[in-house]
Amino acid sequence: MQKLRWTALAVLMLGACSQEGADNAANADAAEQHGGESAAANATSAATGSKSDREEGPVRPPVDPYPSTYAPYPSGAVLITGATILTGAGDRIDNGSILIQDGKIAAVGAAVAAPDGATQIDAGGKWVTPGIIDIHSHLGDYPSPSTDSTSDGNEATSPNTAQVWAEHSVWPQDAGFTRALAGGITSLQVLPGSANLFGGRSSILKNVPSRTVQGMKFPGAPYGLKMACGENPKRVYGDKGGPGTRMGNMAGYRAAWIEAQGYKKQWEDYWEAYEKWSAEDDHEEDAPEAPARDLKLETLAGVLSGDIRVNMHCYRADEMVQVLDMAKEFGYKVSAFHHAIESYKVADYLAENGVCAAMWADWWGFKLEAYDAVTENAALVHAQPNSCAIIHSDSAAGIQRLNQEAAKAMAAGNRIGIEIAPEDAIAWITANPAKSMGVLDQTGTLEAGKMADVVIWNGNPFSVYAKAERVFIDGALMYDRSDPKRSPRMDFEIGQQGNDFTGGAGQ
Amino acid sequence: MNAMIRNSIIAAAAGISVIGSAVAQTTAIMNGEVHTVAGGVIANGDVIIRDGLISQVGADLIPPTGATVIDASGKVVTPGIFAPLSSIGLEEISLDAEANDAGPNRGEGFPLGAALDAVDAFRPSSTLIPVNRAGGVTRALAAPDPGDSLFAGAGAVIDLSGEASSVTKPKAAQIAVMGYGGASRAGDTRMGAWAMMREYLDEARSFAANPNDYVRRNREDRFTLSDLKALGPVISGDQPLIVYINSEADIRNLIRLKNAYGLSVVIAGGSEAWKVAGPLASANIPVILDPLFNLPSQFEDLGATLKNAGRLNAAGVRIAFYNPPGFGAHNLRLLTQQAGNAVAEGLPHDAAIAALTINPAQMFGLDDQLGSLEPGKIADVVIWDGDPLEVSTRAEAVFINGERQDLDNRQAALRARYRDLSRGDLPHAYRGGD
Repeated sequence: MQKLRWTALAVLMLGACSQEGADNAANADAAEQHGGESAAANATSAATGSKSDREEGPVRPPVDPYPSTYAPYPSGAVLITGATILTGAGDRIDNGSILIQDGKIAAVGAAVAAPDGATQIDAGGKWVTPGIIDIHSHLGDYPSPSTDSTSDGNEATSPNTAQVWAEHSVWPQDAGFTRALAGGITSLQVLPGSANLFGGRSSILKNVPSRTVQGMKFPGAPYGLKMACGENPKRVYGDKGGPGTRMGNMAGYRAAWIEAQGYKKQWEDYWEAYEKWSAEDDHEEDAPEAPARDLKLETLAGVLSGDIRVNMHCYRADEMVQVLDMAKEFGYKVSAFHHAIESYKVADYLAENGVCAAMWADWWGFKLEAYDAVTENAALVHAQPNSCAIIHSDSAAGIQRLNQEAAKAMAAGNRIGIEIAPEDAIAWITANPAKSMGVLDQTGTLEAGKMADVVIWNGNPFSVYAKAERVFIDGALMYDRSDPKRSPRMDFEIGQQGNDFTGGAGQ
Repeated sequence: MNAMIRNSIIAAAAGISVIGSAVAQTTAIMNGEVHTVAGGVIANGDVIIRDGLISQVGADLIPPTGATVIDASGKVVTPGIFAPLSSIGLEEISLDAEANDAGPNRGEGFPLGAALDAVDAFRPSSTLIPVNRAGGVTRALAAPDPGDSLFAGAGAVIDLSGEASSVTKPKAAQIAVMGYGGASRAGDTRMGAWAMMREYLDEARSFAANPNDYVRRNREDRFTLSDLKALGPVISGDQPLIVYINSEADIRNLIRLKNAYGLSVVIAGGSEAWKVAGPLASANIPVILDPLFNLPSQFEDLGATLKNAGRLNAAGVRIAFYNPPGFGAHNLRLLTQQAGNAVAEGLPHDAAIAALTINPAQMFGLDDQLGSLEPGKIADVVIWDGDPLEVSTRAEAVFINGERQDLDNRQAALRARYRDLSRGDLPHAYRGGD
């Protein structure tokens, strides 16, 4: 029990962080969508120093060396009718229909025409929402079973490990992915833990089982960087050379950003010099030499150029505002504060700075910086104009019921007179995390043209009794509560003696 | 009815301290959907509270003269929620050493286990108490977490009034840890854990048989006398032993141990308990579980399933719910949500309400005084604005020992202070502050 307790606490204490993905575009479309040229993005490597350089171009670090191999599974046209639809974009359609075709949402509305041969699903009395998205998960990097062998979430060896990538820890056989699927989770961001000031890159996944993590990676999703405020880095490094204080934390971030600025400039200077050299008619000198790559600084430079999204584990109000000033000092943007227990104290700052707050409904008190929690936190963030409230899990149990967590937070707001309807609150676990993660153009709402990531619930998802009955990902039916053959089972769970249980998603 | 009156007499005769603070307050809760837990649901029911006890339960009752009348129409009335295993009052901030007395540190060799007594560290002024009380929790077992010993010490049943006199029953249960948790304290093998458990019980029995002789004997000092003394009521079967344990094989061993030593045993955790449901029912061993636990977190949890609660109940095992280890006692208010999820997975609704109320009371021998709405019982009553298991439902009124409780708490004060973020004439630090 104590071991379990400490395992749970370790995840609790060190697991939480916020990260955002860099624009590490997997393909031209995505590159276009996500824009920016940068040291980290935008290039393929080339040979150095030879006269053929002019043709081959300058050295550029690889943008996407571990590319997504995810491909949607086969699907036919599906027409869901008679449902209460929450679009995630703020609308509720009673007795509505939704057409899924070619893996995309083809149409949503009161009446939708279906092509011949479309599978019809009568969803009378049922509710339909976008696939649920968890912006803060450690599935795969703190998997089940939870043993020393599988504890791969925190590279707690140095306060700055911006060089590590969560996807290199993710075990795709984590049974937690299947349980999350039964809770309607279609996409998630897996983050490194929060022991470090800079924890490393996040990985955004589609919740479709695969032999490899590449087979789960959300195509074209940006990378995120996980950073952490407050108690955790102090606790881990206080007697290991620091930081040992919150001022030490800030100094650590700032020194790293200064170094990253220098690194970014090195590469920009090199590219500029190369262009100049390349434009010369005859080369009296060899091509400029490319700087040495540094994985840590490459990630940080990616943040500074806007390609990698910062998700910042931060509990206290005062620390969040310090971090906002730091982001201005170095010219980057914080995409989301994670945990953000005291968001309600600075909800105005967060909204004015366009920063999301990813919160729990009611966790509190496990450490002093989580002492000032209020159940109205998300509602008070939501109440600000131009706000971005997110409900996250940070838990292999919680990720299975983000709908209930949102329901509690919604009810708490309504009780103090902040009117929040289900069509608003659903965005906390769909559109808003998608926005913060940089995938809202592809998923997160039920709008024509988007990925058909769709959940059919057996009732109002903001009820404790609601269950996801069917989960579609890119139009393919990946989970059906009534069909054991549509319920994934991870390798670890099959063939175990005498289980007498499904061992699948709905376990 | 006679039985109920008799119960109230028994309660009075037992001199239970809980009603000491009750003033002569009479309250009539009228026209609610009353879940009595003892006698079904009364659609338009009334509950009369007098002198800290429930005096009447039924339909079309007449409020006594001078009673405070509460119209509960459209509301649901239940017994107060009873949390059967928690560290409430022992732990304010889990990771703050000074603010966490829940148990000895691991790995430091602190010598005592069974001798620890939750009452020594229980702090009725903990902010966790009003926060959870606002969620309808009225009673709890405040119990130590295990340190380096297999035994954690004695837990106390307390009420959530926050008053100095809130200990209902000290030494209501002893806590032990087996399964891998036990193994990790006994040479990292389950063989070590069971051998050491038997040795503890044998020595405790030997001590209890003749303490004066035992202390003069030449013996190894593997176990402290205070631990052996504390295990006396466990050995006699008078005090329930709550055992953290999960796997089917370990649970079968526990049933054998119970029978061999004549113990009164309650399982905590029990992720694979459903596989042993029949034998557990036969052995009259209740299970305190987290109905949301469904992951193969350890090899001893391979059978973890959301169906655990429903299957155990169907087999006749008495169940109750607790927050999973690692979550302290901060969210006992979520026991109702856990119960609702169990219902969604097949547990009957009335069984879920019983798991939150009468079942814990029964585990600690308090079911003649607590856990249901019956005349003569202590008036722990909650009025909810809807189905108590639903996530959007709120406790509107909470009575403990017949007294209506203040539902304000530190979280509500913080929320009120920051509801308005405008600058104002003075800083936020001047707002609220009650």
